[in-house]
Amino acid sequence: MSLHGKPETQDRLILDSRLSEIVRVAEWVEVLAGRHCMSVNIQLSINLCLEETLANVIRHGYADEPGHSITVGFDVTGPAFYLFTVEDHAPLFNPLEAPEKTALHPDRDFRIGGQGIRFLRRFADLLEYDATPAGNRMRMGFRDAETAAIAK
Amino acid sequence: MAISLEELTGGITKVTLDGRLDIDGALAVDNEMNAIAGSRKAVLVDLQAVSYLGSMGLRSLVAPARMLKSRGGKMVLFGPNEFVDKVLKASGINTMIPVHYEMQSALAALE
Repeated sequence: MSLHGKPETQDRLILDSRLSEIVRVAEWVEVLAGRHCMSVNIQLSINLCLEETLANVIRHGYADEPGHSITVGFDVTGPAFYLFTVEDHAPLFNPLEAPEKTALHPDRDFRIGGQGIRFLRRFADLLEYDATPAGNRMRMGFRDAETAAIAK
Repeated sequence: MAISLEELTGGITKVTLDGRLDIDGALAVDNEMNAIAGSRKAVLVDLQAVSYLGSMGLRSLVAPARMLKSRGGKMVLFGPNEFVDKVLKASGINTMIPVHYEMQSALAALE
């Protein structure tokens, strides 16, 4: 946290609302991971949560329509604690209030949709949603226990 | 994402995936995975070299598994790393497609 109690943006990625843009996230996270000595597992968790969130914004928020921007911000808000903020201009939707679909089950059909929020809750340490005047803001925090343990 | 096939004894097809099973990786293997599911009966998917699995990648596993099942066939997953294993369990896919951590048990499940 900064001296004023608010995270100060250290890095930012702006994407167009096309699924093909999501590959840029992995490359960007890899750079951040190298800069901050993130563990492999936390890097993968970050990738998963960002991929899920961005895919949902593109598919559902923007209805697969290109030409809209999505901003992903990165901050370090504590020792080995990484905060990612996804902001869009899509219609308001709080994914944290959506009912979590049940996990796949052998007695039910093979349906794969709806796993995004499940992944966010399993792989992120912090999830916060805010409606902004422009659209939606989703914050995801990740605590890198492996890196924190080494630093001790 | 790279995909390669090996025909083992007993009519088992081993499919080896290598790389990230993200959106791009899923696109790279979907056609071939579905073709395999449409023509084989016993498929072992070797995930040892899969470094990442997202929900689009899960579709690349579930869709062929469903097709195989509808044809009376079987699919098993083998050798996921810690992260991939966590994704499989979080999604529940491990309850629908058996996941094995030893090659012998994976092969035995397909006999």
